[in-house]
Order: sequence, then structure tokens, then C-alpha cells
Amino acid sequence: MSGSTTHPDAASFKDRADAALADRLLKIAVERTAGTAEAKRAIAIDAFPDFEAARTRAAAIKDHVIAHLGAYLEQFEANAVAAGAKVHWASTADEACRIVIDICKAAGAKSVARSKSMLGEEIGLPHALAEAGIARVETDLAEHIIQLADERPSHIIWPAMHKTKEQVSALFKARHRSPHEEETIAAMAESARRELRAQMLGADVGISGANFMIADSGAVCTVTNEGNAELSLVPPRVHIVTAGIEKIVPSMPHAIHMLRMLARSATGAALTQYTTFYTGPKRAGDRDGPEEMHIVLVDNGRTKMREEGLAEMLRCIRCGACMNHCVVFRQIGGHAYGGTYPGPMGAVLTPILDGLKASRDLPNACTLNGKCQEVCPVRIPLPTLLKGWREKSWREGLEPTSLRWGLSIWAWVACRPALYRFGTGIVARAMQLLGKQGWIRTLPLAGGWTQYRDMPKPAPQSFMTQYRKTLGQ
Amino acid sequence: MSARDAILARLKGDVPNRAAANLLLVAPERPRVDETALKAAFLDRLSLPSVNASHDVIGNITDLPAAIAHYLLQQGAAPTLFLPPDPRLDICDWSGFTLHDSASPDESVALAIARCGVAETGSLIFETGPTAPMLPNFLALYHIVLLDVRSIVPYLEDASFPQGPQPRAHYWVTGVSGTTDIEGTYVRGAHGPRFLHVILLKK
Repeated sequence: MSGSTTHPDAASFKDRADAALADRLLKIAVERTAGTAEAKRAIAIDAFPDFEAARTRAAAIKDHVIAHLGAYLEQFEANAVAAGAKVHWASTADEACRIVIDICKAAGAKSVARSKSMLGEEIGLPHALAEAGIARVETDLAEHIIQLADERPSHIIWPAMHKTKEQVSALFKARHRSPHEEETIAAMAESARRELRAQMLGADVGISGANFMIADSGAVCTVTNEGNAELSLVPPRVHIVTAGIEKIVPSMPHAIHMLRMLARSATGAALTQYTTFYTGPKRAGDRDGPEEMHIVLVDNGRTKMREEGLAEMLRCIRCGACMNHCVVFRQIGGHAYGGTYPGPMGAVLTPILDGLKASRDLPNACTLNGKCQEVCPVRIPLPTLLKGWREKSWREGLEPTSLRWGLSIWAWVACRPALYRFGTGIVARAMQLLGKQGWIRTLPLAGGWTQYRDMPKPAPQSFMTQYRKTLGQ
Repeated sequence: MSARDAILARLKGDVPNRAAANLLLVAPERPRVDETALKAAFLDRLSLPSVNASHDVIGNITDLPAAIAHYLLQQGAAPTLFLPPDPRLDICDWSGFTLHDSASPDESVALAIARCGVAETGSLIFETGPTAPMLPNFLALYHIVLLDVRSIVPYLEDASFPQGPQPRAHYWVTGVSGTTDIEGTYVRGAHGPRFLHVILLKK
């Protein structure tokens, strides 16, 4: 039905992007959700007094934490342990998965309920659980959809953004025990509710990420609109949190400021419906809650980012605003990026996680229009960081020979103004012959560019020629 | 070297200055709340489409059973109720209700007492404890919350979060369980409550 189920596995970014551009349903699906998110965010930000100052404050809070990260992690650990939690540390994704699997095995777990966590995706936890023979129930509605479809998330807030309602309906009808009859989104959500509730209540272990970790109390904060985190984490005997080490904030009031930014930037709401702070396991006399709480603090490249000029990226609170506003993401969706994290923030993170050699196309798939930086609630200079990757890729010789040659020739010519003007003058005149009514439909040597859009016809004379004429008048 | 030591060795730096951290909290940007009319501000937020809650007002806690019965009758729901083991509710006459002291997987109605309400967002703040289980508030289709009007505070920062030993969990409820996961369209009652009804205690 749609190519969107196949292109994530295509060989290169360019192949995946090609497949995505040709997928009409994908474009409709992405536009429906990202378009709604963009509109709702704009309304929320207009209604907020001085969102620009709030962004500056949010960036300053994160910078303060990153500058003192070691000390805050130790403070968090001490408080979490005092509350009865067990804190584990993992340098790599593999280490983190091994810790989680060992805890599950020690608990004799046959099934885990998982509340959506991008860090879990980043470290490959779904795969590790499958290898260990532990059944996994994804409880976030979108994660449930993609688990049934055996796909990866295509957006960090709406992982099933690439699916139309018609595709979801077909999936639920094939896989749910008592699926919806009425073709409405409400009936589909109800079908998932029926399907998932018993599985959540019967799980042996609940696994979540953390939106924030509060250093001065040892609490771990999750936010959801569905309430699936609470239903996944309160009934099981064991709760495991996997969290990136950058998720620390000093105290509750700092978390409150970040929460105000997060919900507005992500969905345009003032706050998510459910915001929960978990501090250790069940207390004496408590009627519910897990008997064990484990927190796995994961590095996986974050200390390296801090050391190698990407500390600003550690501000990221995973709101998804950058991708909702990205002209490239809106055309190709999330799967084409090929990594765990799509869009502008993904194009910065993937080279760290998967290596620059494998992902050098991503920093190039950016128009540098700056929109992502304008909407980022923590003012991450995403275009600057992407340019940094481009420069590194050039310095390390990762760009293809044809591109290196082409750019070298261009640079040689550009350093000789007379030659450059002569050359561009010829090109401008030639392009006059190719265009009709202001547009060029096919361009020699740039067929890939004109395959999906027309090129505007340039002015008949170059800028310098016109400038000289104006000066002469 | 353990992973802990390896990570912390790379993050060596100054011990954070408490004053510097607190400086980042001076005069936070936030939606303005009329602090002279907290109840009205709170009710305004409660009725926003994003929060989607209804409310009622009672003068005395002994009026609570009648208010709940009235609400459930309006909704066409049976008068069954999960009642938390909170001694403050012992004074009420619950005759006419089928009471549950533990919530079943398909519990219809659960009552909880909020520690405070926040006018900024319309949030209800709860914490767990021996008399306040958490799960029923997420299982039920109808989440009914008793809130003392005097405990409404202007901003999230004003909610009296516990200092020192923490409860197992504290949680903020700002509406009903909802999802926009299919085509960005909002649907209420995703996994948890589809209805949130706040009963304000005026006395």
C-alpha cells in the first residue's frame, strides 16, 4: 500500500529519501500531524508572556547542569539511593542493555511493559529484550502501532506519524482480539485500550525513560498524555528507568520551568495530562508501587559530545519542535534519516551515535533556513552544529571524490573574479534558453534536482552586471 | 575501572554553586494568574478543551456522597466507587454505593483527594501513601477528585512539594487521558480516565 514500510531499510540516505518523496501517503500522514503540531505550538507561544526570555532561561539551566554534570549526577545518585532505588551506570548502549536484561532475569521476568522512551530506542532495548526471550508490550499508542507493524519510530513525539488512520485501522483489524467496528480514530484508540490493559497489569517489569531527573530529591519524572507510563510502572514488581545522563536538573523549580517549555514546544499544551515523579520503590504501608526501582544512567557518547564541541546538543529536551518545523523532515518524514533520532536534532546526534562516515549525508540534508533554531526551546544552534559536521566530514576526507573535485574547481574559479563573472554570465544566458514562463523544468547535470520541482529562471543578467549598470546611471 | 568511575572521571568539574542554580529561578516567565481570584482562575483552566474536566462545589465534606451520586446519575454510570482508605472520608454516609476497597482492572469510578490545585494550569497534585494508592486513579473511566478550595495555589512552584523524605510518587493530573497518536487527532480516554470531575470543598 505504501512505500513507507520499506524505505527505512534502503541502502543509503539518498535512496530512502527518494522512496519517501515518491510516497504520496507518507506525505499526507506527516503533513496532518506535523502541521497540526506547528499550528498548536504557535497559539501556545503567542499566549505565553515572553517565550523568548523563557527560552534563554531554559538554555541557561541546561548549560549550568552540563557544566557541573558530574557533581549533579553524584547528588542525584545519593538521593535516589537514600530513597531506596538502585543506581547503575553504563558507558555504552550494550552495557545499558545488559544491565536491564540482568535485572529482568534476576526478577524472573517473562514480560515487560514499556512506556515510550527514545533512549530505549537509542540503546536498542527492544532488540535486546527479544534476544533474551522476554516479551515486550509497548504501551504508548503510537509505539503499540509500530510494534504491531514491526517498524521503527519515525518521530520522537509521534512515533507512528508516518501512518494514516486507514493504515492503523487495517493493522488493528488484523492483530487485535476484539478490534473496532466503527471507522473512527476514537474507536481505534478504544480497541488498543481493550487490547493493552490486561497486558500492562500482568507485566513482571515496567521500563520507562526519564524526561527529567531531579538532583536534590532523587526523583525521576515522566510525562505522558495517555497515562500509559503510570499503568505500566505502578503494577509490576520491578520498575527500571533508562536515562541519558544529561536529563538532570538541579531541583523541582528548575524542572517546572523545563516542563513549561517542553509541553508547549511539543504539542502546544500548557502541560502534559500526567506528570509523575517517582522516588524509589514502594514504602512501608503503600498500597501499590513496585518493590524494586532501578535507574540506569547511560552515557553512550554524551561525555564525548561534551568534550568535542557538541555540549549545546546536550541541552535537548526531546520536544520534536525542530522536526515539526523542518522543511526537509516535512517532505521525507523520519524513517529516511535512518537513525534513532530524525529531523534536525537527529542529523546532529546520528553522527555521534552511528559514526560520521555512515551518516555524513544527514548534515548535508539541511537548507540552513534556521527555522529549527528559532523554535528550539533551549536555543540549540542546530544549523551551526550541522555546519560543524559538514566541515569535519570535509577535513576527514569523507566527501566523495566527485564532490571534492567539483568544489575545488569552483573554489579555484571563485578566487578569480574576472573568470568567475565570465563563467556565471554564460550560465545565466544559457539558462534563459532553457526556461519557459519563469520556470526551468529540466536542467542538464541536475536532473535529480528538477525531478520533483521546477527551478526558477534566473535574471537574464548576473548581479554584478546589473550592479555596474545601476552604478553607471 | 567501573562505568561509574569512567563517566565521572570525564565529567570532573566544579561543585555546583547553589546560589548560581537559584539565580536561574528568579522571576520565571509563566502565564499570569490573578492571585485575588484563584478559584475562578483554576476553574477557567479546568474547563479548557485541553484539560476537559467538569466540576461541582460542596459546602461540607458530608455532602460528598450526594454530589458523586448526582454526577454518576447524570453520566448514566452505576453508583459503584473505589474509595481510598483515607480517614477524612469516614465521616461520609456511603449508603447507596457499592464500595470497592481495591480497584479492579476495569474499575468504573475512583475517588481521590488532591493535596492541592494549581490555578496556572488547572492541575491537581497528588502524592502516594498508605491512604492514597495511585493505580485506581489511572484505571477508572471516571476520575473524581475532592479538592479543598483553600488549597488552590497560583503557580506550579507554589504547590507544596514535600521536603526531606519523599513519598514514593507524586503526580500532577491536568486533564483526562488523551492521545493524538493517530494523525494528530485528539481522542480522550486513551488508556486511563475518560472523564475528570472535580468536587470543590468550600468550607
